[in-house]
Amino acid sequence: MKLNEHGQNLGGRLITIQIVAFVLLAILGVRLYYLQVVRGEYYSERAENQRIRLIPIPAPRGAILDRNGKILVDSRPTFNIVLSNEPIKGVDVDSRVDDYARGLNLEPSYVRERLVAIKKQNDFETLVLKDNASMQDIAWVESHLLEFPELRVELQPQRFYPHGTQMAHFLGYVGEISPKQLESDEFKDKGLRPGDIIGKAGLEQWYDEWLRGRPGYRKVIVDSRGRVQSEIGVVMPQAGQDMVTTIDFDLQTAAEQQLAASPTKRGTIIAMDPNNGEMLAMASLPSFDPNIFVQGSKTKEGRKQIAAYWQDPSRPLYNRAIQGRYPPGSTWKLPESVAGLQQGAITVERSNLACGGGIQVGNKFTRCMGSHGSPKLDYAITKSCDGYYYRLALKMGIEGITKMVEEFEYDKPSGIDLPNEKISQTPKSWRPIVEKREGKWSDIRTVFSGIGQDTVVITPIAHLKAIASIGMRGRMYTPHFLKEFKPIAAVGEQNQSGYFPARAGFGFQHSEPKIINMTPEQNDLVLKGMWGVVNGGGTGASIAIPGFEIAGKTGTAQVAELGKDTGKNKDHAWFASFAPAYKPEIAVLGLIENVGFGGSFAAPAVKGVYEAYLVKKGFLPPVDPDLVAKR
Amino acid sequence: MVAIIEKREMRDFDWLTTLLAIGIACFGIWQIHNAMPGESYWTKQIIGLVIALIAFAVIAFSDYRRIIELAPIFYIVGLVLLFLVLTPLGVEVNGQRAWVRLPVVGQFQPSEFAKITTVLMLAKYFGGRKSGTLQLREVMIGCAIMAGPVGLIMLEPDAGQALTYFPIFAAVLFLSAIKLRYVVVVAIAAAIFIPTAYYVGVQTGTIKRYQQERINAILDPENADPRGYGYHTVQSMITVGKGGLAGTRGDTETSQSVLKFLPEPHTDFIFAVTAENTGFIGCIALLLAYALLLSRLIDGAREASDRAGMLVIMSIVTAMIFQIFVNIGMTLGFLPVIGVPLPMMSAGLSAILSTFIALGFVVSIRMRRFVN
Repeated sequence: MKLNEHGQNLGGRLITIQIVAFVLLAILGVRLYYLQVVRGEYYSERAENQRIRLIPIPAPRGAILDRNGKILVDSRPTFNIVLSNEPIKGVDVDSRVDDYARGLNLEPSYVRERLVAIKKQNDFETLVLKDNASMQDIAWVESHLLEFPELRVELQPQRFYPHGTQMAHFLGYVGEISPKQLESDEFKDKGLRPGDIIGKAGLEQWYDEWLRGRPGYRKVIVDSRGRVQSEIGVVMPQAGQDMVTTIDFDLQTAAEQQLAASPTKRGTIIAMDPNNGEMLAMASLPSFDPNIFVQGSKTKEGRKQIAAYWQDPSRPLYNRAIQGRYPPGSTWKLPESVAGLQQGAITVERSNLACGGGIQVGNKFTRCMGSHGSPKLDYAITKSCDGYYYRLALKMGIEGITKMVEEFEYDKPSGIDLPNEKISQTPKSWRPIVEKREGKWSDIRTVFSGIGQDTVVITPIAHLKAIASIGMRGRMYTPHFLKEFKPIAAVGEQNQSGYFPARAGFGFQHSEPKIINMTPEQNDLVLKGMWGVVNGGGTGASIAIPGFEIAGKTGTAQVAELGKDTGKNKDHAWFASFAPAYKPEIAVLGLIENVGFGGSFAAPAVKGVYEAYLVKKGFLPPVDPDLVAKR
Repeated sequence: MVAIIEKREMRDFDWLTTLLAIGIACFGIWQIHNAMPGESYWTKQIIGLVIALIAFAVIAFSDYRRIIELAPIFYIVGLVLLFLVLTPLGVEVNGQRAWVRLPVVGQFQPSEFAKITTVLMLAKYFGGRKSGTLQLREVMIGCAIMAGPVGLIMLEPDAGQALTYFPIFAAVLFLSAIKLRYVVVVAIAAAIFIPTAYYVGVQTGTIKRYQQERINAILDPENADPRGYGYHTVQSMITVGKGGLAGTRGDTETSQSVLKFLPEPHTDFIFAVTAENTGFIGCIALLLAYALLLSRLIDGAREASDRAGMLVIMSIVTAMIFQIFVNIGMTLGFLPVIGVPLPMMSAGLSAILSTFIALGFVVSIRMRRFVN
């Protein structure tokens, strides 16, 4: 090496540089080994996670039909404006709020809420910013694609309630799953994601599991801006199962028209097939439009309307049939009659009790509305003799009344397939409270409980269930709406991802009816009284229909003390019935709030439902609905 | 041209260096294609390679000694070009003013070429000295030679290019018989000073937030904000790791660069593309090719017929290993993101042209190793 001549050990210095170079390259090699061989899988997965995105394909919910196949609820296509997380990860919420609010006509506070919500989600999640988007909204999004790459228009089948306020209470409505629900035991392991639509009330909620479809998705590759580059797979959604209800749309409509035609337009009419518990109608007024809840919860107007529903003192959101609790008044005398016979307080042979024009308990005299001598049970029912039932209640005692409550299951929910059913309040439930508060259960309370007042406040559905059993020779069925769920075919290939197995159809699982024990003679005596109410010159004689014998009982339930029962404190009018009297096909109960006598208001309304039933059966000519409304 | 080449020159021509360099460049063109198959960068790079090879041949068959004699002229031309960058003739790309557009010649990056003119200038000055240890005066003159181009490049600013000058200068001083104790002192001082400076810089706010973020992204890439300044580092590591043992072999559907997750895939992050497509095997092959080439160049330096030639080659070797290490180190996520091209791989006409011109000098020097 000739450079060594200079004596500067140049060769050594060159080798030093060479060694440094090799060491540096070796460092790179080791690092490469670590990244590619040791951690290769991990980075491969990270790369996949950031480029693969699942775009959900929403599944249509099952339709809800009436017993004759008429569509009560279905879905229709709408467009959603969808917000993606990934492109706005580094963007400040404030910089978007005003633009969105102006462009999409949304409330800034709502936009902010949504933006904050999406930012808490995983990178590739999406959230609906506005559903039911108008053509203007879609055009705005399309024209701002470059500015706001996080917005997208998505087709979404939306729940639609074509009959508006009709049947709203039992059909319910759907809405976005709440964060709380997502965590709840009910939904935890069902694979639901934020923004998914579930039933929020009524049958939509009760049967959500079957009505809800299973969403599919498109598996796509996106670039770093979230733009779809190619599709690498698709899993088709499976629609929800169609539900056939036991509801008869025509009877339902008749019931709603009757309520609408009443003076206060508040109340409930429910109709059931007593032979099996199938609900034929459940009307509750005032009502609400479920479409508002589906579409409008994200718009200013929608929120306002929903708030108005909540604040309305007439409580339109509340299903009076299963959530309302009312004193039953004289309709309470029917289960009481059966219980009196069962317990031996009266017998078929000796069922007479004095009317006495009323009763003296302590220093207080409680009146009967008439003077009925010493009537037999059937006459007491027909004429609704209060004096008779004051004495019967005293004979049965509070223990007897409690037994009756248990026998007819007023101390339980009716078991109807609707959420949020209330349980009736009865002397059974009040007794411990009263005894604690007043030291004892006084006889006057027993007397009042004999005519369905004071400590008796019951739900119309529990009452209908009990009274229908009297027509059914003691067989008490659980009321229900489900007739059947239609089957749905499997989607996808078995043993592959995205396979949804077929879902079988099924009908309502009837449990054995509860048997109310009574002899045929006892049953006939009560039936005779009920028959007389309509057909024997009783309190409901005005609604008799020739050739179709209705067995029923009127009730006029006091809301306030005598003398103050005017205006908005007027009595509640009841009519509980079934027909034909000795072989019932249909049981109908009517309750109209604060109108007065049961025989004058509730009974004619119930008659309207029977007439609609008869029109359907061909016994009566069709009625012009306008005439009903004017009556 | 072949006709005027003497037989002896043909015999001594360094085919190994030439073929290795061309091989790496072709491999690089394939990776540029992989990075963005839809863009024309790879075809431009082919043209660049052809031009570079012509320049390479011209330099290789010239007598480097005559060129070194003219070094001051080239050095001044280099400074003028660097100055032009700062005039209205300069062109700004991606917020960096590193290019100049001249009539006829077109657009190019003077800092790439100024590296060569500076090396020649250093070689001329330090190559002329005789035996004996390096004097302070000589070091000061070396610093003066460096100051011009480095100062102008810092004004652009182009930290990556400016940084490359320091190891070159260090190598020249090292090989010009600087006393070993100075080397040791400087190394120890650097080991203490750099972390201290960083700490003080952070405390006093001299080091800006984004600069800190870049450092943090290196120290702890998993916890760095992947949407912020650590994004490039994290994406680059993902891309490299995804390649695994054998690579994806040109699969564009999942390509990190085609999907735009990897920034600057054809220039600064070309090695990440290489790692993704050819895997550990391809990367190691490339590193071995570099190692072989560098060894060959150092051999040439050893056999150089004069000190100036040796210094030219070793400057080039040092610049190359520095660029390779900084560029790949950045790609592998253990060095901060600094825009230094990977020699012979990164797309860019100026870069490939200057690299092959440099290699032309190496071959020329080697060819004349027996001449004295």
